[in-house]
Amino acid sequence: MNEMKKTAISLNVNNETHDIVSNPNKTLLEVLRDDLHLTGTKESCGEGVCGSCTVLIDGAPVRSCLTLAVAAQGKEITTIEGLRAGEKLHPVQEAFVNHHAIQCGFCSPGMILTAYALLKENPTPTEAEIRRAISGNICRCTGYAKIVEAIKSLAEEGR
Amino acid sequence: MRLPPFQFLEPTDVEEALSMINTRKETVKIMAGGTDLLNRMRLRLIEPAFVMNISKLRDIDGIDVGETETVIGANTRLKDIARSPLLNKRFRAIGEAAFLVASPTITNMATMGGNLLQNTRCIYYDQSGMVLNGLERCHKRGGTLCLAVKGGKRCFSVYQGDMAPALIAFDARCVLEKKGSTRTVAVTELFTGNGATPFAIGADELLTKIIIPQPKGMFSSAYRKLRLRGSVDYPLASAAAFVSVTKDKEVNACRVVIGAAGASPKVMDGPSNEANWEGMAQKAYEYMEAVDNLQMDGAYRRKMVSVLTKRAIKAAMDRLKEGM
Repeated sequence: MNEMKKTAISLNVNNETHDIVSNPNKTLLEVLRDDLHLTGTKESCGEGVCGSCTVLIDGAPVRSCLTLAVAAQGKEITTIEGLRAGEKLHPVQEAFVNHHAIQCGFCSPGMILTAYALLKENPTPTEAEIRRAISGNICRCTGYAKIVEAIKSLAEEGR
Repeated sequence: MRLPPFQFLEPTDVEEALSMINTRKETVKIMAGGTDLLNRMRLRLIEPAFVMNISKLRDIDGIDVGETETVIGANTRLKDIARSPLLNKRFRAIGEAAFLVASPTITNMATMGGNLLQNTRCIYYDQSGMVLNGLERCHKRGGTLCLAVKGGKRCFSVYQGDMAPALIAFDARCVLEKKGSTRTVAVTELFTGNGATPFAIGADELLTKIIIPQPKGMFSSAYRKLRLRGSVDYPLASAAAFVSVTKDKEVNACRVVIGAAGASPKVMDGPSNEANWEGMAQKAYEYMEAVDNLQMDGAYRRKMVSVLTKRAIKAAMDRLKEGM
């Protein structure tokens, strides 16, 4: 068994600094859920395929299951908990609710963060651009029609 | 599944990175985006004592499109390659390959160097310990047999990188640095052709740059890929085509590089015009190692590689015509 030393890790999550001491082999997903109790970020495949663990790092959607927490220091991390303003849901979250784009909800945090990043970069995406952006986020309940509709409604507002 | 234990290293520049790997050699694994390495570690296919994160090395990140050559830093994210207008205009196949890697979220993380140096895959190898414990030890795991090819004397695992075929189509070279020296080799020379040990790189070397020479005259290119889904998946067969024409609009060079065709991309050179697309496609069919060790059967992948060869040549030719 290889040697491993615990290390101090400082993470900026949702504009708050969190200092923890942890092993370097912990993924960002594990630290978010187990140490910071931000359980909105989900674990499903654990190998970067499904997108349920998606968080934003410096504004770009990435897989937190394939990111080492220790390597995410010095970056701005946004989880689904960081999207709402107080009790008010973010418009992307509202759109998902209003368009029934949620069934079991397991893919929703990743899907919403991916949609949020897309709309931030491109406020008026076409349907093809929407489908391309969420092509790495897998939903096993609703199909994708309602999710695409929800994002499209915001794209139309952006026009 | 949790990652195995390791010590974490994070150099601040290339020089420090070279010193770190010089003293640790085989015990250190280099992590750029982490999308390939961490999965291999999670499956316990590798358990390095040290993981060195190079993702913060800005000195090997970026695209410099020049008159005689274009340089892509090994740390450049695939997303940036897919979106670079200048690079896409000139080296269409390279932009297309980057666009088609995995999914957009993965290309936000994955890098040019990491994609190029991803390990070969096989359904009898890329499995968790629980599965592998029930299988005999194959060539890739230090054994003496192949589970995919009965009686196979070597490893038939498949190189499924998207970027390498496109880079090779343009005769790209790469820069490998180690403490005290640097060498530049053709991308084709990175590969051993042996699935068990697919790369000809020293344990103390770091891939820092890719250099794409500027082709002469009018040229175009295209990349086509077969996969199960329209996103996420590795190529199950692929083809990158490069075509150039003379001033008189006669085709004077056509190169096709096929991927997911064995332990390394396979290069086919030949003059081309509409009449001999079939010839190139036939060659691709013959070069393809059609082994049943990926998510689609080998016979289908072999048929499709010849189809992709034709599609890639046709797309490159159509683009040339549009540009004329």
